[in-house]
Amino acid sequence: MKEIIRTEGLGKYFGEMAAVHQVNFTLQEGFFTSIIGPNGAGKTTLINLLSGYLLPDAGKIFFRGTEITRMRPEKRVKIGISRSFQVMNIFPRLTVFENILLPVLSRLNKNARPFSSLNSQKEAVEEAERILNEVWLREERDLPAGQLSHGDQRLLELGIAVAANPQLCFLDEPSSGMNPIERIKVLELVKKLSAERKTTLAIVEHDMDVVFSLSDWIVVMNRGEILAEGKPDDIRNNQEVRDIYLGEEI
Amino acid sequence: MKTRLAILSLIIFLAVLPAFAGKYLLYVTIHILLLSIFSLGFNLLFGYTGLLSFGQAGFYAVGAYGCAKILLAYPSLLAGIIGGVALAGVASLVLGILCIRHTRIYFSMLTLSFGMMIFSLAWKWRDMTGGDDGLVGIPRAPLEIPGLLRLNMAPMENYYYVVLVFSLLAIYLFHRLVHSPLGLTLQGIRDSETRTACVGISVRNYRLVSFTIAGMYAGLAGALLPPLESTVTPPVAHWSFSAEPVLATLLGGIYTFSGPIVGAFLFYVLKDIIVRFTQYWLICLGAIVLVLVLGFRGGVVSIFQGKGGRG
Repeated sequence: MKEIIRTEGLGKYFGEMAAVHQVNFTLQEGFFTSIIGPNGAGKTTLINLLSGYLLPDAGKIFFRGTEITRMRPEKRVKIGISRSFQVMNIFPRLTVFENILLPVLSRLNKNARPFSSLNSQKEAVEEAERILNEVWLREERDLPAGQLSHGDQRLLELGIAVAANPQLCFLDEPSSGMNPIERIKVLELVKKLSAERKTTLAIVEHDMDVVFSLSDWIVVMNRGEILAEGKPDDIRNNQEVRDIYLGEEI
Repeated sequence: MKTRLAILSLIIFLAVLPAFAGKYLLYVTIHILLLSIFSLGFNLLFGYTGLLSFGQAGFYAVGAYGCAKILLAYPSLLAGIIGGVALAGVASLVLGILCIRHTRIYFSMLTLSFGMMIFSLAWKWRDMTGGDDGLVGIPRAPLEIPGLLRLNMAPMENYYYVVLVFSLLAIYLFHRLVHSPLGLTLQGIRDSETRTACVGISVRNYRLVSFTIAGMYAGLAGALLPPLESTVTPPVAHWSFSAEPVLATLLGGIYTFSGPIVGAFLFYVLKDIIVRFTQYWLICLGAIVLVLVLGFRGGVVSIFQGKGGRG
C-alpha cells in the first residue's frame, strides 16, 4: 500500500470560522475513499484545498511525497489530480463532445494549436469518443451541454473529471440534486470508473448506502476537523460518529 | 455546401466590384472591410473568450500611427502594414499582461483606461503624433517586394485589392483559429474559467494570447487606414471609436463566426443611410441595437440560423 496524498496540519479559515482545522490525513493509492460528515463540516473546503482551488492558511499538502501546498490548480491536473464540482461546472455553450475533448487535448498538451482543425487531432478525438461512451452520452454528442438534463450534466461533469486521466480524482457530491433513478445511474458510473480505471477516487457523498457499499476507507469530518477514519465496519460501529452524524439509521 | 457557395459568390462579387463601382463605393467597402477585421478581433475577446474590451481603438490607433510613421519615413506599403500590426501586437501584449489579471467589469474598465491613455499620447505627444493635427501627407506607397514585384497604389482600385486580400486572409486565419484546439480552449475559458483551470489549462496565459491576437487584428485594421485617408488623427484612438466594433458585433451576433462581419456591414450601411437624414444617427442606431439585444440576443445572424446557432 502506498500513500498518494497526505496533509500535515492543514487549515483554512474564513474570518473566525475554521472551515478546515488541523487536518492530518492520508489517502492510500487504490482505495476508494469517502469523505462524509454533516453540512458545513468542511468536506468541500478540504477538496478545494487539495485540488488547488483554494490555498490553505496553514499546513502542507504532499502528493506522492512531493510538496504541492501552493501549486496552481492547472499544474495539479498535469501531475495527476483532477476533480468534479458540487455545483454544476461544465462548458454550457460547447457541445457535449467538445466538453470532453478539451480536457483530453489539455492532457495531451495539444490545446494550444492555433490552426489545425479539431478533427485532425485523431488521438484526442478517439479518446474523447471513448470517454463519451464510458459516461453514456454517445447520443447527446452534438448537443450544447447546457441543454442536457440535470442528470446527464452530472454524467458529463464526471466525464470531464476523468478525461484528464488522473491518478487521483475528487468527486464532490456527484449525485447531488438528482432524482433516485439518475442517482443510481451516476453512482453506477462512479463504481464502473473506479473498477476500470487506475484512478484513486475520493468522493464526498451523503447517501450512506452508497458510502458503505462502495468505500474501502471512510473519513468522517465535523466542524472542520477529522472526527474519525477507518474501514466501513469500524466507522459503522464508532459511537461518536453515530452520535453526531449517522444516528441510528445504519 | 450552401454556405460555401454563398461565400464563394460573395468573394467573386467583391473581386469584380471595381469593374463597375465608383470610387465612393470602393471607399465605403474598404471601410466595411476594416471594421470587419476590427470587429472580428474584438469578438475573439468578447464572444470567444468572454472578455468585453472597451479599449480596442487604442490598438487600432497604434496600428494606424505605426503604419503612418513608417510610410512617412520609408515608403513601402508592406513595411507599413506589417510594422503597424507588429507594433499593435507588442502594445497589446504589454498592456494585456496588466489587463487580463481581471475579468468582467474590472477588465472592461482597465481596457477603457489604457485605451484612453493611448488617446492622450496621440493627442499630447506632438513631436511624435502631430497632436490634434495628426499626421498628414501619408503616401499611399507602392506595394513592393524588392526584386519581385512593384505595384502602384495610386489608383483606388489597386489599394482596394490590397485591403481585400489582407481582409480575406485575416478572416480565413480567424476561421481556422476559432475552430482549432486553441479556439476551443478560449471558448472553454468563456464558459467556465474554474472548470478550464481544473482540466489543466492556465487561464491567464490563454487570455493573454486572445488579447494579443485581438490587438493585432485591431492593429491590422488600423494599419490599412492611413494609406487610404493619407492622414491619421487622434479620434481613431478615442473610446467612442472602441464602441464601433462593440455595436457591430452586437448587431451581427456575438456567438457566430460571421456575426461581426455581417454586423460591420449593417453598422456602416445604417450609419451611411441615417446620417443623410439626421446628424443624430447614433440615437437611431442605438434604438436598433436595443431592439436586437432585447429581442434577438444572438444578433442578426442568429435570426437566419435559428436561435442558439453557434456558427
